[in-house]
Amino acid sequence: MKPSTVRGRPRVNAVTRRLAGHLVRGLVMIWVVTTISFVIIRNIPGNPVLGQYETLIERGMSPDQAERATAALYGFLPTGSLWEQYTGYMKALLHLDLGQSLSTPGTEVVTLIGSAAKWTILPVLGGTLLSFVLGVTLGVYAGVKRSGKLGDLLSISGSLLHGVPQYVIGLLVLAIFTTLWPIFPAGGPVDVEFVPGFNAGYLASLIQHATLPVLTYALASYGGWVLAMKSSVATVLGDDFILAAELRGLSRGVLFRYIARNAILPLFTILALSLGMLFGGAIFIERIFNYPGLGLLLVNSIGARDYALMGGTFLVTTMAIIVVNIAADLLYAVIDPRVRTGGVA
Amino acid sequence: MTTTSPETGGHPGAPSPPGLAGGPGDMTAPGVRVRDLVVVYRTPLGELPALGGVSLTIEPGTITGIVGESGSGKSTLALSLLNAVQPPGRISAGSVEIDGLGNVLELGGDDLRQARGRHLGYVFQAAQNSLNPLKTVGKQLLDLGRSHGADDPRALVRDARSLLERMGLDGARVLDSHQHQLSGGMRQRVGIMLALVLNAQLVILDEPTTALDMITQATILRIVREVHKERGLTTLMVTHDIGVAAEVTDRLAVMYGGRVVEHGPTMDVIGAPSHPYTQGLIRAIPRLSGDTAEARALPGRPPTLGTLPAGGCVFRERCPLRMDVCETVEPPPVLVDRRTVACHAVAGARQERVVREERVVREQERVGREEERA
Repeated sequence: MKPSTVRGRPRVNAVTRRLAGHLVRGLVMIWVVTTISFVIIRNIPGNPVLGQYETLIERGMSPDQAERATAALYGFLPTGSLWEQYTGYMKALLHLDLGQSLSTPGTEVVTLIGSAAKWTILPVLGGTLLSFVLGVTLGVYAGVKRSGKLGDLLSISGSLLHGVPQYVIGLLVLAIFTTLWPIFPAGGPVDVEFVPGFNAGYLASLIQHATLPVLTYALASYGGWVLAMKSSVATVLGDDFILAAELRGLSRGVLFRYIARNAILPLFTILALSLGMLFGGAIFIERIFNYPGLGLLLVNSIGARDYALMGGTFLVTTMAIIVVNIAADLLYAVIDPRVRTGGVA
Repeated sequence: MTTTSPETGGHPGAPSPPGLAGGPGDMTAPGVRVRDLVVVYRTPLGELPALGGVSLTIEPGTITGIVGESGSGKSTLALSLLNAVQPPGRISAGSVEIDGLGNVLELGGDDLRQARGRHLGYVFQAAQNSLNPLKTVGKQLLDLGRSHGADDPRALVRDARSLLERMGLDGARVLDSHQHQLSGGMRQRVGIMLALVLNAQLVILDEPTTALDMITQATILRIVREVHKERGLTTLMVTHDIGVAAEVTDRLAVMYGGRVVEHGPTMDVIGAPSHPYTQGLIRAIPRLSGDTAEARALPGRPPTLGTLPAGGCVFRERCPLRMDVCETVEPPPVLVDRRTVACHAVAGARQERVVREERVVREQERVGREEERA
C-alpha cells in the first residue's frame, strides 16, 4: 500500500496548484484591505494627515520639514494628488513601513505591533486549541448520545456559552477569579518583579497572567465547537458507510474513529473563521484583562487618535486573519484525501 | 445457543484462504429459517408494521431472490437477517434461525458484531457509499481484519487481492485507492470483496446492481453467480428488477406490503406466476420484442406503512380476483405445486381443482363400474 509514483505526481500538483491559487487570492485580498485602510485614514473627518501637516506649519516648521515629518508619521505625503499619496503609501508598505506612532513619539508602528502581536497570538491560539479539543471531544459524545441526559446537558451548556458575548464571559471570569475567589492576577502580562528571560519565576508569572485571558477565549468558543461537532456527528451517523461498517462487524473503537474523523473535517473550516472572530474579540478581552496585545493597542490608538498606529494594527490583524484562513484551507487539503487528489467524492 | 458460533466460521488467513478454486473447505452453506417475523416502525401514527409476519425458508446453497416494489419490506427483511433493523424500526416478534448461529434475533453485543462480517456478509446497494471516504480500501480492510481478530494481516491482504483480481480488478491498486478514486462498479466489487474476505458463508446483497450501467451490471451478476458456486455459499439477493432475479437466482420470493406472497423456484414463479400480484408484476415488464403497449402497469398504488389495511389480504385493493373472504381473513401461505402462495383465490382454485379432480376420478370410477356392469 505504498503510493505508486504514477499517482503520486498529480497529488503533489494538486496541492501546489491549490497553494498557488490561495497565494494569489490572499495577495489580492491584502491589496484590497490596504487600499481600504488607506481610504479610511484619508477620509477620516478632519483629515488627520493634512491636520498634522498644518499643525506642524503653525508651530513654525517650514513646509518642507512639515511634509517630511508628516510623511514619516503616516507613510505618505499629505500633499499632492490622491494617486501620488496612494502610491507613496503602497511603496512604504512594501518596505514594511507603516509609519510612526503619534502617541509614542519616535517609535515605528511596526515595532509596536510586533511587540504586541505575541500577547495576542499566543493566548488566542492557546484558547482556541483548548476549546477545540474540549468542545470536539464532548461534541462527539453529545452527538452519539443524543437522547441521553449527559448529551442533553452538554448541548445545553454549549448553547448557553455560545449565546453569551465574549466580553460578558470575560467580565464574569474576571469577577469570579480575581474578586470572588481571588486566585489569579487581575491584569497585565506579567508581574514586574521578575527578570524577563527563561527562569521559573518569570514563566510561572507569565502563565498565571495568561490563564484568565486564555480561559475566556476558550469559554467563548467552546459552545460553538460542541454544537458544531454534535451536528456534524449526527450527520455522519446518518451516512451509509457507518451502517456499512456496523454491518461488517467493525469493532466499537474503529467505528468511533470513523465517525470522529469524518465529523471533524468540516470543523476545520470553522476553525479559521473562529480564529478571526477571536482576534476581533481580543479588542474587548485584552481591555478587560489589561493585556498588552493587538486589541489593546488598537483601543489605545483610537483613544489617542493615533491614526497611523490604528491603521497599522487594523491592517496587520486583517492580514493575520487572511493568512490563518489560507493555512486552514491548506490543512484541510492535507487531511481530506478527496481535496488532496483533486477528486470529487 | 449464542456462543457456539465463532468456531464454525472461517479463520481469515488460516489454512483455508479464499482460494476460490478450493471450494468451501470445512464450511457448509447455512440454511436460513425466518418464522413469523414482525418488524414495526415507530411513526407519529403509532407503530406500523413493515413486515407482517414473514416466514421464509432458505435452503442451503441456493441463490434466493427477493423481489418487490419499493416499500414492500425487502430491505427490512434483509437487514433482519443481521438483526440490524435501524431505528425507528424494531423487530417485535418472530425468529431468524441461521445454521451455525442460532436465532440471530437473540444475539447481541459482541456475539452479534462477530457474526456480522465473519458469518454474514452484507453487500450494499452500489449507489450508496459503503466505504469510509477518508481511508484507503486497504486500511479499511485491515480495520475489518483487526475487528474480527484476524491475526495475519499479510494473509488478509493477499486474500483480498486475490478476490479483487478474481473479479477483474487490479488488486494492489484498488487497495491503495480511496473511495472517490473508484467507479461504481469497482466500489461494488470492493463491497463484495469485503463481504467475502472473512469467509462469510451467508451473503446478502441489497440491490447490488442498482445505479450501475448494463455492462457493469452483467459483470457484477456474473461474479455473484460464480463466487456463489465456487465458494458454496447461501446467497440472498434483494432486487426490484425481475430480470436480474431471473438471470441469477434459483429461487424467488415475491414480497408485497410486508408479506412474502409467493416463493418458489425462479423459473416456475416467473414462467407461471400463481399469485395475482406476481402475475401483474410479470405483465408489467415491457418486452424487447413485440409491442411495448403489451406491458400493462398494475392498477393502483402499492401500500405505504400508513395505508396498509389492518385485516384481510394486503393486496385486495388492487386484486382482480378479489373475493369476500379477502376483506377479513389474511390468506395463509399454502403449498401449491412446488411453491408457497398466500392467496385465497389461488388456494380456492386449488381446492376446486382437487374437488374437480376427485369428481373426475369418481366419474371415471362410476363409468368404469357401469362398463363393468354392462
